Amino acid sequence: MFLESLARKNYYDILRVSPDATPTAIKSAFHDFSLLYHPDSYVALPADVTAVAQAIFKRGVEAYRCLSRAPMRERYDRALARGRLRLDGSKPSSKPPPRVARTLETIAVTQRGRQFGRVADRLLAIGRLDEARVQLVSACQCEPNNEELSERLQILYEALALEPP
Amino acid sequence: MAFAVGIDLGTTNTVIAVVREGVAATLHDPEQGRLLPSVVSFHPSGSVLVGDRALDRRLIDAPNTIYSIKRLIGRPWDSPEVREAREKLPFELREGQKGGTLVVARGDTFSLPEISAFVLRQAKAIAESVIGEPVERAVITVPANFNDLQRAATKMAGRLSGFDVLRILNEPTAAALAYGPGVKANERVAIYDFGGGTFDVTLLDVAPNVFEVLATAGDSALGGDDIDVVIAERMADDLLKKHRFDARANRMAFGRLRILGERMKRELSSREDFEIAVNDMVGGDRGATVTWRFRMTRPELEWASLGIVERTFKVCQQALEAAAITASDLDRVILVGGVTRMPMVARKVQQFFLRPPVVRINPDEVVALGAAIQAGLLDRSKPRSAESNAHPRIDESSIIAHSSAEAPEWVVPSELPIVQSPIRAEPGRGSSTPDLPIVQSVRAEPGRGSSSPNLPIVQSPIRAEPGRGSSSPDLPIVHSVRADAGRGQRNQAPSRTTSESSESLTARGAAGPSAPYAEFLPRVPSKPLVFDVPETKSPPAVDRSAPSLPPPRPRLPRALASPSAEPSPLAVPPIAPLAVPPIAPPRTAEPQPARAAAVVSQRPRAPLLIDVTPLTLNVETVGGFCDMLIDANTPVPCDRTRTFATASDGQTTVRVRIAQGESKRFSENTFLGELELTGLTAAARGEAQIAVTFEIDVDGILNVRARDVKTGSETGARIELVGAQTEPAEIQAMHNRQAAHPIERASARGAPATRA
Repeated sequence: MFLESLARKNYYDILRVSPDATPTAIKSAFHDFSLLYHPDSYVALPADVTAVAQAIFKRGVEAYRCLSRAPMRERYDRALARGRLRLDGSKPSSKPPPRVARTLETIAVTQRGRQFGRVADRLLAIGRLDEARVQLVSACQCEPNNEELSERLQILYEALALEPP
Repeated sequence: MAFAVGIDLGTTNTVIAVVREGVAATLHDPEQGRLLPSVVSFHPSGSVLVGDRALDRRLIDAPNTIYSIKRLIGRPWDSPEVREAREKLPFELREGQKGGTLVVARGDTFSLPEISAFVLRQAKAIAESVIGEPVERAVITVPANFNDLQRAATKMAGRLSGFDVLRILNEPTAAALAYGPGVKANERVAIYDFGGGTFDVTLLDVAPNVFEVLATAGDSALGGDDIDVVIAERMADDLLKKHRFDARANRMAFGRLRILGERMKRELSSREDFEIAVNDMVGGDRGATVTWRFRMTRPELEWASLGIVERTFKVCQQALEAAAITASDLDRVILVGGVTRMPMVARKVQQFFLRPPVVRINPDEVVALGAAIQAGLLDRSKPRSAESNAHPRIDESSIIAHSSAEAPEWVVPSELPIVQSPIRAEPGRGSSTPDLPIVQSVRAEPGRGSSSPNLPIVQSPIRAEPGRGSSSPDLPIVHSVRADAGRGQRNQAPSRTTSESSESLTARGAAGPSAPYAEFLPRVPSKPLVFDVPETKSPPAVDRSAPSLPPPRPRLPRALASPSAEPSPLAVPPIAPLAVPPIAPPRTAEPQPARAAAVVSQRPRAPLLIDVTPLTLNVETVGGFCDMLIDANTPVPCDRTRTFATASDGQTTVRVRIAQGESKRFSENTFLGELELTGLTAAARGEAQIAVTFEIDVDGILNVRARDVKTGSETGARIELVGAQTEPAEIQAMHNRQAAHPIERASARGAPATRA
């Protein structure tokens, strides 16, 4: 149904703008979008139709709020490049990566990997994510087959809102 | 055919308006003024008085005469406004269940929505008697910065009074709708709404077919009432100094001073100075009457109220920042609300916004007119047609006309009504509201004026003002007569302070030239705005190809089977959504069936309003901080889903506290209540995950739904709002209390009293 196809669209598609649209174009697109889907246009129609329109409108509001502000739009563009269609409002850059039971040191198996892992753990604990990333990249290079380590690296990249390599 | 009305339920006055035959006009009791005071008085006989008659009882039956309830509605018991009100207001307040506030009158306890419901019932009765048909649906306005509790309480008041509340609409947005789009294609407009109890500023993007609110800010505890209090304080000081009488020690006396302060404030909007004389404030030796005189000049008032007015501009600055624009980016500033009649306010608005403000529609009525327009657009009971979607005109009596250069000197018309209508023995009020239109000027019905009544009736020792007729009426410029007034067209004459006169209530100083808005009314007839053109003119050039098309039929199911690519959104706005599933992947285009345009409306289509939620919605997180769910100034309706997990093993209920406000600390925000998520399957901690969707609907009211992430089934989600009445039994009790208190609507002309 509509709502399923809604789930497959990114913000640009919902507002029907091109990914390089200017802020004016986005605002104008949102106006046109609202004329189509705002609940007030559906006053005389049955409730189930109104409900669908409302669901679409709310997603459009989410898109508009995101794309109309430059920093959020940039974050969204990056997330979109990684395949995420919606942007959660929380700011991952202010949150450290999720605390997990196993430290990087224990995940690494080689000695050099462990060394890098240990330094990375310490840096993570004090919140210096970027430097930890450098250490973790080195650790991964020492152990290219260690999937769990690479996963941790992915998580760290996401926390830093960077593109994965 | 039932009508849908718009109601401005104000702190001081309530106005009701309706759109009939393409014209939006206010409805008022022919015997009373154009504004209905939002005052409810519980008479010892058991009946309830609402409006002017209740206002009369403010001094004689203060504990049972309830007013200014809008400043308290939706506020919890332990909020600063309620605490202050408990000391200042003459009627009794009591704490309710769930931390709410109740009012006590004549031995009965009422919740605050019930009091507002009395006012709404009276408004409904007036509307029905004027229109002559039942009125069942209404759009009720609230200040833009009202939070969820206040909005829900207002909606409850609407329901208790028997209305189907079509929308809770923000007041500045309603005013923008009444003004309509300007002549320019796309404008940025600021609405500066300074009312009796609240201040709002809303910044909008105004296009011919869409009004988008960019940002709104306000202070729901800042209004004209505060200026009355400032004047009352000065009066109290004066009394103390002259007669050693401490009015502050006595709630009734201070209440009296507030009423006098209100009068003073209004007079000084059109005069340079004003004196009142009161006989019964202070007693003399052995019962001798002592006359207390108090004189205030306009500069004194401006100095005293400067702080209050300056606060409004701090709020304006917040709004500009939230919208990321500057004052010079705006195209128009519109004044709404009675307090904007003070010359200082208009002047400061000009200084802040770098352009003279616009005031074309009566600032007391514009909100109700806008609400009426919206009511007409949302009325589900009628089939939508070109006429019902067209933007209505505003009735002439609400327009503050400009005056032409050739018009004669401003003449005060109000000496006539005192002679004409013997019923109006109370010159205090009557002079401003000639019920019978004066013959020579068809539209000479001055608005009732800024707010409540000047002074109570003749038995009050505040002497009747014989000179009232010669003084300016409350709203000199609402007269929209051409033959009348050159008011406002001259620049400020130098103020003349005459010598002392012992006449009570003497109006001294220049009147007309310093009348409200004198400097801002255009000197020449302004170009008519788009909607003022006569009906025969062809519609303006704005291309909206389908304003006249009949409403789209719900073709949704069929459309799924055979979707067609839709044309560009601009071409067919109302049709596309249902004819085509726009979100479906595009297929080969099928031509839209040709639609013959029906009768093309002469008037352009009314715009769509995209309003916003004024406050950020937060949940409480660790350490007493806030997690922002929905930002302030997000367009509504909107929603946000957040996943919560259990904190301990086997937990079946999760409780989360919710607030609205901009602070990062939860305790500094307005606490709404506790969200309770129930029906979770017992599991290890962190295992059970509930996706909670917080939705702010188009009224700005919060709804919550919850779903178990793993099973996908709905779980229970309930918010215990502070002070809200949600139990069916409670609601039924409130309905019963309304039914048990009929509102007296005795007609002054001897017709049998009807019950509302």
